Amino acid sequence: MTAKLVPRRIFTTKSPTLKPLVNLLRLLCLTTAAMAAAADDGRYFQQEIGPLFQRHCMECHDRETHEGGLNLQDQITRGGDSGPVIVPGHADQSLLFELVSHAEMPPPESGQLDAAEIEKLQTWISAGAALPNGQTFPSVTADRIQALLLLRCAVCHGATRQEGGLDLRTTESILRGGKSGPAAVPGNPDESLLLQKIASGEMAPARRLVEVSIKPITDAETALLTDWIAAGMPAPVADRSRENSDSEYTATEQSFWAFQTPQQAPPPSVNTTARVQTPIDKFVLQRLEQVGLSLAEPAPPDVLVRRLYIDLTGLPPTWDQLQDVLQDPADDRISKLIDRLLESPHYGVRWGRYWLDAAGYADSEGAQNEDRVRPRMWRYRDYVIRSFNSDKPYDRFLQEQLAGDELAPWQDGVEIDAATADNLVATGFLRLTPDRTFANITAFVPDRLEVIADEMQVLGSAVMGLTVGCARCHNHKFDPISQADYYKLSAIFKDAFDEHDWLKSQGERTLAVVSTAERKQWEQQKQTLESRLAELQAQQQQADEETRKSLQQQIDAAKGAIPPEPQIRALWSRGRPSPTWVLLRGNYLTPGKRVQPDVPTIFAERYPLPQIAPPWQGAESTGRRLAFARWLTSDQHPLTARVMVNRIWMHHFGRGLVDTPANFGVTGSPPSHPLLLDWLAVEFVRSGWSIKSLHRLILNSAVWQQSSAVSQQSQELDPAGLLLSRAPLRRLDAESLRDSLLFVSGALSEQMYGPADPLDVRADGLVTVRATGDQWRRSIFAMMRRTQIPSLLETFDYPQMGPNCLQRSESTVAPQALQLLNGGEVHRLSARLAAVVLQDCQQSMPLTDDADLRKQRIIAVCRRCLSRQPGKQELHLFLQGLQELANQWRQTGETAERAEQLAFANLCHAILNSASFVMVE
Amino acid sequence: MSAETSPTTGRLRHSLARPHTVPRRSLLQGLSCGFGWLAFQGLQAAADQQPHFSAPAKRVIFLFMDGGVSHVDTFDPKPELDRLSGQPAKWRPDVRSQAISAGRRWLGSLWKFRQRGQCGLPVSDLFPHQAHMIDRLCVIRSLTGETPLHGAQSLLLHTGRSIAAAPSIGSWVSYGLGRENENLPGYVVLNNDWIPNGGFQNFSSSFLPAAHEAAMVRAAGTPVDNIQPAVAPELQQLRLKFLRNMDGKFAAQQGTAAGIESAIRNYETAARMQTLVPDLCDVSGETQATQSLYGVDRDDSFDKLYALQCLRARRLAEAGVRFIEITCPNTHANNSPWDQHGDLRRRHTENARITDQPVAALLADLEQRGMLDETLVVWAGEMGRTPHSGGTDGRDHHVSGYTIWMAGGGIRGGMSFGETDEMGMSAVASPLDIHDIHATILHQLGIHHEQLTWRFGGREMRLTDVHGNVVKEILS
Repeated sequence: MTAKLVPRRIFTTKSPTLKPLVNLLRLLCLTTAAMAAAADDGRYFQQEIGPLFQRHCMECHDRETHEGGLNLQDQITRGGDSGPVIVPGHADQSLLFELVSHAEMPPPESGQLDAAEIEKLQTWISAGAALPNGQTFPSVTADRIQALLLLRCAVCHGATRQEGGLDLRTTESILRGGKSGPAAVPGNPDESLLLQKIASGEMAPARRLVEVSIKPITDAETALLTDWIAAGMPAPVADRSRENSDSEYTATEQSFWAFQTPQQAPPPSVNTTARVQTPIDKFVLQRLEQVGLSLAEPAPPDVLVRRLYIDLTGLPPTWDQLQDVLQDPADDRISKLIDRLLESPHYGVRWGRYWLDAAGYADSEGAQNEDRVRPRMWRYRDYVIRSFNSDKPYDRFLQEQLAGDELAPWQDGVEIDAATADNLVATGFLRLTPDRTFANITAFVPDRLEVIADEMQVLGSAVMGLTVGCARCHNHKFDPISQADYYKLSAIFKDAFDEHDWLKSQGERTLAVVSTAERKQWEQQKQTLESRLAELQAQQQQADEETRKSLQQQIDAAKGAIPPEPQIRALWSRGRPSPTWVLLRGNYLTPGKRVQPDVPTIFAERYPLPQIAPPWQGAESTGRRLAFARWLTSDQHPLTARVMVNRIWMHHFGRGLVDTPANFGVTGSPPSHPLLLDWLAVEFVRSGWSIKSLHRLILNSAVWQQSSAVSQQSQELDPAGLLLSRAPLRRLDAESLRDSLLFVSGALSEQMYGPADPLDVRADGLVTVRATGDQWRRSIFAMMRRTQIPSLLETFDYPQMGPNCLQRSESTVAPQALQLLNGGEVHRLSARLAAVVLQDCQQSMPLTDDADLRKQRIIAVCRRCLSRQPGKQELHLFLQGLQELANQWRQTGETAERAEQLAFANLCHAILNSASFVMVE
Repeated sequence: MSAETSPTTGRLRHSLARPHTVPRRSLLQGLSCGFGWLAFQGLQAAADQQPHFSAPAKRVIFLFMDGGVSHVDTFDPKPELDRLSGQPAKWRPDVRSQAISAGRRWLGSLWKFRQRGQCGLPVSDLFPHQAHMIDRLCVIRSLTGETPLHGAQSLLLHTGRSIAAAPSIGSWVSYGLGRENENLPGYVVLNNDWIPNGGFQNFSSSFLPAAHEAAMVRAAGTPVDNIQPAVAPELQQLRLKFLRNMDGKFAAQQGTAAGIESAIRNYETAARMQTLVPDLCDVSGETQATQSLYGVDRDDSFDKLYALQCLRARRLAEAGVRFIEITCPNTHANNSPWDQHGDLRRRHTENARITDQPVAALLADLEQRGMLDETLVVWAGEMGRTPHSGGTDGRDHHVSGYTIWMAGGGIRGGMSFGETDEMGMSAVASPLDIHDIHATILHQLGIHHEQLTWRFGGREMRLTDVHGNVVKEILS
């Protein structure tokens, strides 16, 4: 009894002068108190710990409240949603102690534990956490130990390798042991080989740790292992009732709008019926009429055509294309144009790019200085462009990207048709995040978990519209997504993303699986070249010295011409997933509850995951991802269609109906037009998930076709344009700007697809895309290394893929002005523009200052760049500008002809800088 | 082809081939016109932040010693290491250690330490000039990192994350304090023609608005990208006038379109910057005494340019830039300037020759102008170097305990903080991590590190993530 009094007195000592002494005594007393605490069969708990819980914890964690599934009143041994909160004898492994000692619990506002109380907790846990009334915590079980051995040992004694014949993944295989006999003797730590080898430092071998990206076992973990063996290596206590169970959610949480299947309400009736072109217009007009507004005037036809071209293809129309539409007398000329543009290959270039942003596309690994190139990633980029161009149904598009390897057999030498090859390329979606695990020193388990976390974030933000990543370390603070949900979701991907069974990010994720047709073509090509090579080599052997030399050149050339084997970067099931544990506080060193693959609980009841089964007989696959992809693309899914519809809307209008496209949760923006969002979502699913149908629906609306001019009334009542009382005035995005600059100056190549265009990085760091001949391809085909973004694109808000980008910023910063004003690229293009404009208006050098000819030139450049003719006043402005510029050049000593030419190039340059060119009405 | 002189020819050219070049993409991203993006975007009112509380420092100058200065050869003397020099080295395997003990020997300091200043703190003979300023320095000897790799550590030091894609501390400071001068960026990197490991990510605004990205000022040649008009000033004026007329007309058609108006103003700011930035970078108006103090008049071009950047740092500080970073030059084909796995004696000496005098001069100059109290100067590499060696003239990557210093801005001078063990291996007394340094820097600027946040990916993101404690013991 005295022993117990000592710590209490000491721990409450406040005197600073006593501090060193106190610290010393603490060490001593911990043991004494601990012994006392252990010996007293729960008295220490009753006297100290129970009251402490009562004071600080019960408000949220008694049998009524049990927040986070934790009931400290009478079920402390069961732990909470994430797993056990107390590990007897191991304060450092106990979640409760960790949260309390880091002052994270109780929440700051409800008063925290003082140092003495924390010491008491530590004392109690370290001494074995004895409880009164014969209650006991489950001792360390095989479940915890399995996680430990997977982390520290299984890389050499597990699935891939069994060095010394030893597999440490299960209790049975530990007992079976390896060449030197059983690895452990239940109840006898001293005689257990496993512990002996660890104690002697022989295992894990220090020299080989980095080579296999493993960190050494810690003393605390060895103690845990010792405890387990000493306790007779107990198996986990089956508690199926808690597996995958979570906190119950309140009715409010369950009835949150984004978790309900969208229903289609009939479009409302409106007053301004004359403006209604589609049901969309009614939804928007209704809101506008409520505040006394209506739609803006319809945009003038030439403005509308330019807007359509840029919106659907990322390029302005040529003058002829514009005239074709304007001269068409048909009422449906705009609808016909929409159809035509949707069939343009440039459509996929423009809209595929949006998806690449959402998916986080990059041609390099990032994450380390080298920023290694991913040489085969472009196949995924092409897949996306082609999918958009062929209007691949969105449900199928998602299934291919999430589970393409489980859609059709592709292993064991089966015939690979184009569709199957596409399935596999599509899985590149799951191989896009920054990934430094190509090197041993950066491929440790935490590095791998970062990659998985990024993939979860991409999945959550781009596809589900949920911030699932928030639940990696704790239950989501706002949405009904528990930490267990996060790990259940990651378990779905475990057969491909297994932190204990990892494929490095360079090389190992490559498959030589392409369509049989492509492969045959390659084989033939290779064969032809090889036989040619053999011929040359034969000739060389018989040739004289001189001929040999020239033949050698041909031989080298022939060798270089042999194309490399076609390969893809992909993700596929490896069929042997490790178990998944909730990682307490996101820390890989503290595994909590084991979970099974499943969707978050908030969905599981009403929208359960289809049964997980191997996709075909004899498949190596678990079928987890396929089940998930089917769940995600079910017609009833509350989020998938909404999220995609919102994204398409956002790219058409610059703002989504939900302004937070990655977050449809509680902290996201509520939809500005909820009924419209749902109406569109249902239409989208009904159309067979056709993205092009969705475009037609939106683009044919009066809302989309209205003018961007801002009226006084619209400015006052709808200042930010949220109600859609006008079309937005938008700046061209990075790619459209660069592509348009190239296009109007006659420097854009029509060639699509294939390996990325290399970059040139100049000595001073300017990054430019290498030209093909004297032309450049569209920006999407440039090499997009994370550390080397073409300068022009980067200045105009090409995003950092961290890991993806759902909404680019649209900044107006001085470097943009400086780049367009003073940058060399734009200057060269404007000179080229001046030259093609002269061709357009059939003028040639030397130029004269004849007013009519000047007018012709000005009209031609306006038509080409701005898709319109200058008005009378504007023409006057241009002529005046041209005159002033020419005068200035004359003053610098240029000849009249040369001054005229330079002045015109200056004018072209100014037009490329102008708001009329850079912005879309 | 072009009728005009290209503005980009005759620009920066290197006397040496370098393994890495100086990317200039986005170099100027930070040179934003304050109102531009705000008016256009209607974004969160983020441009004009206020400090959370009043604090001594108004700005930071960060002297980045990339590659890793050897702590046991500069500020952290280890007599026991000197005594055992040449003996086989043994230590417990440490996950933060890259090397393994086989074949390694202890390597005592290659430079002699002396007690310096009134405080008597030891500084080695490698840094005679900094030694002279020791009474202003707070030498922190117990910093720890995560991974012994340059890229990861450099990103950790700059962004608080060792994996890419988080804003730089300079961007956070720019965002947190707002601009003092709306024609200048909040964050400037005075580069020495070498981009440190971790690349541009080190200086990126990442998810913070583009206006907070570092503006890069090169040491040699034209200091800033696209800043030089492509044509004569009169022509540039005419072009701008024409553009203004044209855009004005477009704006009138569009009604009250804030977007176009801010685009027009953006061009005006750009035009003003064309004069302002080159002026600030031109040190020819400084007195001869000042130029000599920094060593701008030294012979070697590396010496000269580093001194130039230090002097520019003071000018930018005066002009209202919030966070100024100076990087080191890489004098030869090496992974990074201070990364001496071999040739330690020669190359550390060379790096010290380049940086020591200008760094000390910067401190002295700031002090003499009464600016040191409001300018927090931080001297740090991304790692230290191992007390042991595979040879006799090189040290490897070391992150389990190394040294940085801070001065001015309300930091106590003439003190050391924290300790490594007797061999200089691991921080044993008051170990700190980089988040603690970040929290302390922000604190001295009047920013609470837990309250400086930006919503991204559904979370309130912080420079210090979920870590960081202000190191109260070193505040004056």
